[in-house]
Amino acid sequence: MFQGKSVGRALLLVGVEVIFFVLFVAFMLAHQLGKTMAFIIFFISLGILFKKWRGLNHAVVELFTEMKILAVVVFIVMVLTLPFMFQKSPYLIHICVMAGLYAILALGLNFQLGSTNVVNFATAASYGIGAYTSALLAVHFQVSFWIGIFISGGVASLFGLLLGIPCMKTKDYYLSLVTIAFGLIVYILLINFSWTGGPNGIPNIPPPSFLGHSFREPLNLFGFNLPFQSNYFYLIFVLVGGALFVAYRLHHSRVGLTWNAIREDEIAARCHGIDVTWYKILAFCIDAFFGGVTGTVYAHYIGFISPENFAFIVSVVVVTMVILGGMDNVFGVIIGAVILTILPEKFRAFEDFRLLVYGVIVVTMLVFRPQGLFPQKLRIYQR
Amino acid sequence: MTEIFQQLINALLLGCTYTLIAIGFNLFFGALNVVHFSHGDVCILGAFVTLILYSLGKFLGLFAILPKFVYIPLMIIMAMVLTGLLGVFFERVVIKPFRYAPLLMVLVATVALGIVVREAVRLSFPHGSNPQIFPRILPQKSFQWGGVLFRLDSLIIFGITLFLIFMMFLFIKRTKMGAAIRAISQDGEAAMMMGINMDITVAATFLIGSALGAVAGILIGAYNNIIRFDMGLMGGVKGFSAAVVGGLGNVYGAIIGGLILGMVETFAAAFIPGGTPYTDVFAFLVVIFFLIFRPSGILGEKVYEKV
Repeated sequence: MFQGKSVGRALLLVGVEVIFFVLFVAFMLAHQLGKTMAFIIFFISLGILFKKWRGLNHAVVELFTEMKILAVVVFIVMVLTLPFMFQKSPYLIHICVMAGLYAILALGLNFQLGSTNVVNFATAASYGIGAYTSALLAVHFQVSFWIGIFISGGVASLFGLLLGIPCMKTKDYYLSLVTIAFGLIVYILLINFSWTGGPNGIPNIPPPSFLGHSFREPLNLFGFNLPFQSNYFYLIFVLVGGALFVAYRLHHSRVGLTWNAIREDEIAARCHGIDVTWYKILAFCIDAFFGGVTGTVYAHYIGFISPENFAFIVSVVVVTMVILGGMDNVFGVIIGAVILTILPEKFRAFEDFRLLVYGVIVVTMLVFRPQGLFPQKLRIYQR
Repeated sequence: MTEIFQQLINALLLGCTYTLIAIGFNLFFGALNVVHFSHGDVCILGAFVTLILYSLGKFLGLFAILPKFVYIPLMIIMAMVLTGLLGVFFERVVIKPFRYAPLLMVLVATVALGIVVREAVRLSFPHGSNPQIFPRILPQKSFQWGGVLFRLDSLIIFGITLFLIFMMFLFIKRTKMGAAIRAISQDGEAAMMMGINMDITVAATFLIGSALGAVAGILIGAYNNIIRFDMGLMGGVKGFSAAVVGGLGNVYGAIIGGLILGMVETFAAAFIPGGTPYTDVFAFLVVIFFLIFRPSGILGEKVYEKV
């Protein structure tokens, strides 16, 4: 009896996930604007229904917490099949790759913005530093992608440390100004230095290869011929998984708790013997490392980088992803990143209005749901 | 020596525009403890409003009827009022909902508002991505005096700025509304208990700040003869920097901060060999150093933190 009931619930869970997955794929494949809008309205009304109908909300949450492992496994399997779903349209896989890249950036920023409440508008700087480091190494010294990714992460961390020093003295708006200034300095230097290619950037960055398989060739899996973007899709999947693991472990460790203490009250934290400076610097360095790694993948994926890719607007986008998804909620941040990557791409039909629509979306969402889509949860240590 | 003097004039001029933008930042910060990050875009919006008014005047044939020295000041005043009202509108829509929210929300909301304003300007002008030619509304004469070249328009810009700052101080110090603005910047709740209407006072603050910012935008356009939709981003960051260097919330600080920033940029471009592309880098480095050694600006009060 009990056995039968739990099998039924497991099937229900898989069913719910599959339905959402199918809806997502259909949404991605929808070409006409009308269909896209219909889907968006459907999703929004679903969200409102979910929020208003407490019973349904509790039932679903209970279902998912009951069978956490199954839910995660099913989710992973479904995400892994995405390139097969989109094999006719490489552009959709490209969007997924970009969503993954932004998810890592947002996860990195979440350590500062979400956990520690340290505003940082210099994500684009560490992203750019990482991209340029590995691109220059690869183009001039033929350094492999797999080595370059660590070097650029380290270099970006060093710059994060450099940025962290003036930031220790300042707070709030002053701090945001320092980070904005840092981001703009990096951007201006990238444009004006001749050894970074100036405004023309760096072309012809070689793609990485894995066990002799170049990432710019189509991927053959189980008899399916997947477009070359799928290589990067799986690479970014692994990286997001790694980033998620790091973020999750950090959040549930002493470090995450310390960051939260600093966020709640810096002086009280200091009075309890927390080395505030060290932990803030740590947040800066980890964020910069994530940014550097992401930049490396981006540079080798696109094959061409220019300062425009690392302008101020990129930092703003990542900050809004963290805030929109829900600060200090690891999964919320990822969902925020995915939504804010996919939505503007869906509005590509009116290319010119993209940024305008983006700004309007952000303002309205902030006005109507300032705590983000998935607000942070209370830490529960014992039930 | 004349070279230094010449550059000093340029620095003063640049400082004037930064000061006008920074005053807005300081007013808003004083009143609501918020940084209105799209203020730079609102300023450039003022220039675009002027451009529209100018084209409208040309279209209606007003230039034939009215003499230039009547129409142009009228146009500037109209642009100031319109931009000021837009500023009030933005405050209502984007800043007011976050009055009791964490300050980060306002920051991000206004950054997003800046994107909206920039894109709206870009899309509503034909070939909006390209620089737009700004009419030469100031006289173009120049004269030599002691080996130094004076452009008449720069003198006028200097005069207008001084006049506006003077008027603003009179307003803040002598009128009832000015007293209300000072009161809410000291303590909003206490001011409300004394019967001050918070909403109207905040609206007045935004009206004044945005109108002064519009003048900054117009002066930038008139001096360079071009405006671009994305000038507001850099203008906003520079104005904010000037406000912070001077001391956020202190209106006198805006003048000092604006002048310092103007000097750094002008002298870096003039006297550091090959420094022209890097002027902004020098400016921001100076800002960062100021923040390290004087985190609350030159005239800012030292804030003692309490738990």
